[in-house]
Amino acid sequence: MQSAAGATMRPREFLAELLAIEPVMGDSAILTFTAPEGFAKAVGAGQFLDSLCRPESAHDPLLRRPYSICSVDRARNTFTILVRPYGRGSAWLINQPVGTLIDTLGPLGNRFEVQPKTNRLLLVAGGVGAAPLVLLAEEAVRRGQSVAYMMGAQNAEGLLPAHVLPEEVEYVVATDDGSAGAKGFVTDLVGEYLRWADQVFACGPEPMFRSLRRVVLANRIGNAPPVQVSLERTMACGLGACLGCVVETKHGMRTSCVQGPVYDMDEVIWS
Amino acid sequence: MSEALAAPDTTVDLAPRNPRELVLRNPVMAASGCFGYGQEYAQIIDVQRLGAFVSKGITPKPRAGNAMPRIAETPAGMLNAIGLQNPGIRGFLKKYPPIWQHWQVPAIVNISAEAVDDYAMMARLLDEAPGVAGIEVNISCPNIAAGGYCFGWDPEMSADVTRAVRAATTLPVIVKLSPGALDIIGVAQAVEEAGADAISLINTLVGMTIDTRTRRPVLANVTGGLSGPAIRPVAVRMVYQVAAAVKVPIIGIGGIASLNDALEFFLAGASAIQVGTALFVQPGILMRLIDEIEAYLAANGLNQLGELVGRAHPAHRADVTADSDVALAVAEG
Ligand SMILES: Cc1cc2nc3c(=O)[nH]c(=O)nc-3n(C[C@H](O)[C@H](O)[C@H](O)COP(=O)(O)OP(=O)(O)OC[C@H]3O[C@@H](n4cnc5c(N)ncnc54)[C@H](O)[C@@H]3O)c2cc1C
Ligand SMILES: Cc1cc2nc3c(=O)[nH]c(=O)nc-3n(C[C@H](O)[C@H](O)[C@H](O)COP(=O)(O)O)c2cc1C
Ligand code: FES
Repeated sequence: MQSAAGATMRPREFLAELLAIEPVMGDSAILTFTAPEGFAKAVGAGQFLDSLCRPESAHDPLLRRPYSICSVDRARNTFTILVRPYGRGSAWLINQPVGTLIDTLGPLGNRFEVQPKTNRLLLVAGGVGAAPLVLLAEEAVRRGQSVAYMMGAQNAEGLLPAHVLPEEVEYVVATDDGSAGAKGFVTDLVGEYLRWADQVFACGPEPMFRSLRRVVLANRIGNAPPVQVSLERTMACGLGACLGCVVETKHGMRTSCVQGPVYDMDEVIWS
Repeated sequence: MSEALAAPDTTVDLAPRNPRELVLRNPVMAASGCFGYGQEYAQIIDVQRLGAFVSKGITPKPRAGNAMPRIAETPAGMLNAIGLQNPGIRGFLKKYPPIWQHWQVPAIVNISAEAVDDYAMMARLLDEAPGVAGIEVNISCPNIAAGGYCFGWDPEMSADVTRAVRAATTLPVIVKLSPGALDIIGVAQAVEEAGADAISLINTLVGMTIDTRTRRPVLANVTGGLSGPAIRPVAVRMVYQVAAAVKVPIIGIGGIASLNDALEFFLAGASAIQVGTALFVQPGILMRLIDEIEAYLAANGLNQLGELVGRAHPAHRADVTADSDVALAVAEG
């Protein structure tokens, strides 16, 4: 995984103004923010931002929280993140009124890497892991590639609304209770798409990666298609300085904030 | 034209008794383990403006570090158990000093080991390395020869390490004290006596947090080092006590996140400061502190930073006698 060709942007600290809040996936929301000049064109799918989720004068919660870039509007130079209220930081963030300035650090991290010969992308999303794959879908559609976007949730309410994805995307869903799409796990659907896909990209909770890996290893031929995963690690600095966020790979410890969060599934040492 | 007022003098001499000198342009330093090797933050701040920076702790052999999770947030602070992930002294020497030798900012190398000889070996290798301005000796490490008892908790063992490093290099040597020491004054005096050019304090305090849902310690390593604003009062107290007991310059560390925090350390007796955890929250903090300290001195009619150092001590306070202050330091109830 590497930084994509073309425009890139060094990380910076900026104030992002909250422009809009769209409730999605039950208790979660898509938050739209203003960005520094050139931002929307320079960032890539997989990259994330580190948001200060408290008033600046307070000390709790102390550290910034990483959020994947969910989508960008190149014309307006805005971006969105998808936030699930989990603990203190996310609950604070999601409850801020429109107009709030959020102290933001980024763009951080590497990007999903789409190989030049790839035409068909299979995207596998679980929970708020849907976010970076939305931007990846946007980028792929802009390049004229075919995208199948798979998402699983407990019920229909937990799914990303279809309008968030570009129209050209084939949106395939599964729910635990069968209230939308196939009944069962999203990873049950992956098998039949593996032959179709040139590359697979996934983001979601750890158990999803485990079952995805099982399905992929059982169904693919050789190392094809290759699978890239965006992993979640607790972070402190976000800049590769503290070594708090590492993932163990076949090439040693790799920082999630600079050398990740996107990894080749086959490179990661899964515990 | 009226004559422009001279900018206040913020330079700090951290090794007045060492001919190789360690003079900083300003008292603002980045703390070990929080600033990588300088390059990581160079993409976001002007690293060359710093007084100095301290590298990640280097060990005799490469270390992969601890299992994840390595970090846990705590009230106004954080625990870390990185486990000294680093390329080892030889890998380090190949990679970083050649870059630093083209930098203006003094680069100080933090060293950690589990045996006195290993500290000395690293100091010897660093002695002639280009681009290395000084050594910071992390004595918050288990001494294998003493059954894993931490060097920095014992004045004698702290002095042994300092003496060995002093003998192995002519570089300025800063000894970084552990707040776990029962007798921090005794340790400070012992390392001064053993040849430390300066003393930095404090390192992290050992702490722990438990996830009540999983009923397990959050950190894979179980315990970790507590840092951030939560430890600041402990650090200020220790700097104050040590400043009254030694003559070498002191570098204050622990929870500094604003100008006011930095001033507390200067008043307690620190000649310079290091910032660690606050960098994770505000990557621009070091640049702001440099500007704000200078502006503060100017606004208060001070020509030199030194005029501030140690001003909270009784000698500078007409209303207090030295005796009543010692009583304060001892009474903890
Ligand atoms: C690269 C990256 C991208 C991310 N992208 C998104 C995103 O797009 N949307 C989003 O909502 N979140 C995302 N996260 C997670 C996010 O950064 C926060 O961890 C999350 O919002 C919880 O923070 P909090 O302050 O609300 O919870 P805290 O108060 O920190 O957590 C409360 C408790 O839950 C535990 N905990 C925290 N997070 C998790 C978790 N994810 N799984 C299990 N236990 C946890 C904590 O250890 C603590 O005990 C991402 C994380 C990373 C590393
Ligand atoms: C992630 C992390 C890694 C650290 N690594 C080292 C280290 O390698 N060597 C060392 O002497 N101190 C290390 N420290 C301690 C800091 O240099 C500093 O003494 C301590 O964090 C207190 O300062 P702070 O509150 O400003 O962070 C580390 C601290 C943190 C948070
Ligand atoms: S969060 Fe500090 S190295 Fe990744």
